[in-house]
Amino acid sequence: MLFLIYSVLFLALFYLHFALAHRAWITIRGKRSSELDMSYVRLEDYFGQSFRRKLKHWLATLPAASNSTANLLVFHHGQERIFVAPSVQYPSGRVEKEILVAEGTFSCGNNCDFRREVMVHGDCSIGEGTSLQAIAADGALSLGEAVSVRRWVDAAGKLTIGAHSAISSRATSRTAIEFLPGAHAQSLFAPEIATEGRNDDAAELSSKPVTVVQIPHRPDDPQKAHNGFDPQKLFSMGGGTYAYEGDLDITAPLHLRAPLVVRGHFSCAKESLLEADVKAHRNITIGPASVVKGNLVCDGDMLLKPDVYFQSILQAGGTMRLSFGVRGLREKLPVAAHSTGVLTLESNIVINGKVSSAHRVIAIATPLAWLQPNPTRA
Amino acid sequence: MAITALIIFSWTLIGIAMVVLSAYAVRHYYLAYSRMCIAHPRETNELVGFVMPRITVFVPMHNEERVARDILQALVDCDYDWKLLEVIPINDRSTDGTRAIVDDFARRYPFIKPYHRSEGNGGKPAALVDATVNSTGEIYLMFDADYVPGRAVLKMLTAPFLDPEIGAVMGRVVPHNIGDSLLSGLLSLERSAGYQSVQQARYNLGFTAQFGGTVGGVRAAALRAVGGWNPESLTEDTDLTFALLLNGWRTAYVNRAECYEEVPQDWGVRRRQLSRWVTGHTECLHNYWPDLVRARFLTRGEKWDAIFLLAMYLTAPIIVLGWLASLVLFFVPEAHAVPVLPIAMLIIGYQLFSNQATFLEIGVATLLDGTRLRALLMPLSLLNFFANTGAICNALRKFYWNRFWGSGGDGDGWYKTHRTRPGSDGKGFGLNHTKVEGMGD
Repeated sequence: MLFLIYSVLFLALFYLHFALAHRAWITIRGKRSSELDMSYVRLEDYFGQSFRRKLKHWLATLPAASNSTANLLVFHHGQERIFVAPSVQYPSGRVEKEILVAEGTFSCGNNCDFRREVMVHGDCSIGEGTSLQAIAADGALSLGEAVSVRRWVDAAGKLTIGAHSAISSRATSRTAIEFLPGAHAQSLFAPEIATEGRNDDAAELSSKPVTVVQIPHRPDDPQKAHNGFDPQKLFSMGGGTYAYEGDLDITAPLHLRAPLVVRGHFSCAKESLLEADVKAHRNITIGPASVVKGNLVCDGDMLLKPDVYFQSILQAGGTMRLSFGVRGLREKLPVAAHSTGVLTLESNIVINGKVSSAHRVIAIATPLAWLQPNPTRA
Repeated sequence: MAITALIIFSWTLIGIAMVVLSAYAVRHYYLAYSRMCIAHPRETNELVGFVMPRITVFVPMHNEERVARDILQALVDCDYDWKLLEVIPINDRSTDGTRAIVDDFARRYPFIKPYHRSEGNGGKPAALVDATVNSTGEIYLMFDADYVPGRAVLKMLTAPFLDPEIGAVMGRVVPHNIGDSLLSGLLSLERSAGYQSVQQARYNLGFTAQFGGTVGGVRAAALRAVGGWNPESLTEDTDLTFALLLNGWRTAYVNRAECYEEVPQDWGVRRRQLSRWVTGHTECLHNYWPDLVRARFLTRGEKWDAIFLLAMYLTAPIIVLGWLASLVLFFVPEAHAVPVLPIAMLIIGYQLFSNQATFLEIGVATLLDGTRLRALLMPLSLLNFFANTGAICNALRKFYWNRFWGSGGDGDGWYKTHRTRPGSDGKGFGLNHTKVEGMGD
């Protein structure tokens, strides 16, 4: 009898170990997983599009509240209220707690606080020091100085992000973004992103002939190390791709003709031509006025010196800095630059595509001292 | 004398088992901890859609009439530019209606170019070798016929190839039939740990991810550089991963490129699947370990990681030998002369330390996936552990028997994993969704 009691107690204790698992299995049994969104596609301006779609649906289906007037329609959506007005002008210091829709233009004075989303069907101007949850505009959108946006910004027209403004998430435009010094965002996406001081004069290139380092080198090139390149450290990985053991700091213009993996730092002198992809296990520095046609990838920091023109994708595991005069554009597809660390954009930068960072993208004004005399043209 | 030798031998076996398994436990802890702690996993999600090379998608098919429409329709629905896309369904000697389905899609969509195969060796690697000849893509992507890719998966899998060092890429497979049997529920935990924890952690740490042969891809130039697919291998994917690694190419892992799969629902199917993996994997260990040790491209950490990965199935017989040795010591009175308490404490400490390691990985994965309910199944993973240990030991026994004494007809060959999904004739994804509370829905 005692044995039986012990056995039952033992079995009960043993079962307790699995009791929760057993209950979970009873719930799961016969079910199928639905954790994946099979129709998901990545859209850079997803937040703006999604908000517009939802708002359109709400306004089409919700009845207007009884306190609506000719100039202000009010809709109730759960605990939220949606205000719809023709054109709106807010005075300085106003706090708005409702979702706001302006059918025409919208402007507000300084230091306002919009705690819910704002949708503007016309042009929009936001005063200095204003705080926003998120804003979508069908026209041009201008954020004044030191505006802070807790989520995203999306404009169909030109988007101007004022100096020292902060956007916690994405800033997108279907036309162009002007990103003024001191402003920061997590990512920017537009057919054209420009920082202040735009100057489209072409960089002046060196007129005197210089030695060019070719990688992969030709059979008749010197086999000894020269201009920072040691042919003995270069070997083929197959498939037309080359690897270079150690740091590769080239002191003469480089002409890269095949994909290259550098197991160390990589840098090249001014006026280099990179026709293929480069990966560096540490940092990458591209000399002034170089042309980059292949992708650049590094595990460390990346620096593009002044007047570099890239037609590809840049990815850095550390920080990234695009110097004065950098241009990024290519045919058919937009270009992109992404870094895990802070991505810094100096003055006079134009990029057709996207810049993003896991931390933040920040615009700075290139110090005048760096431009006089111009480092590239000197 | 003989008893003393037996006792020493048993203690030696236990010592070896404890050292090897503790080393694996440390690895598991390290990977799980690093997966939890890295704020920004290595990924290319922000660059999806900006890398658009010409790609070829291979879909090997052998008697797949039930599911062929679903995968082909899913590929048609993907958001990849059709001008840059080529889909090659490889109809490998099917005797059912697969050919008609594939030809019907080819008539409607010019980028679908079927490859009908009526002779040659069986198996996926052999079919891929033949089908690759006329492909035009810079990147080859692969999906098994019963997998269903989401609309964005092609772009996600292509993005890592912006890095010239990336030779292959692996996406994530997510079991769909989690509630069909206890085994499939437990395998969903195993898959979560394998992908969400281990693959992502290893990739974050700079180790090469493992290419799995489906929901993945390879750079055409890199594939040619390593001599193409190995039709002799039972795990051509593992073989390719290490062939690439030895030539300096890395495999990227894309956790967000998720694709549903059907995991085995009964132990017989699972045993055969595991048996093939064990054989192929261990074969790769024997083929590649000398080269891995000597590899000029790899750091010491990468070499250790690669050896640990390839030798992982050997832990099963080591565990069994440890158990047998423990039984010997328990039943031989002469063995009890040793100081029992410190040794018992040592073994209990080891058990507490080592046995929790894999559970931690599962826990981390379910936490990151938000599959709270499924995490509660974890204690039942013990069943899976015992069944896996048996199946692995048996597969290794056959492998080494064939290796040392030649094939006696007891080895593993290629076979198609049994399909359980009925398919939907291309209407929708062919997936029957039932929402389960707390499962990341």
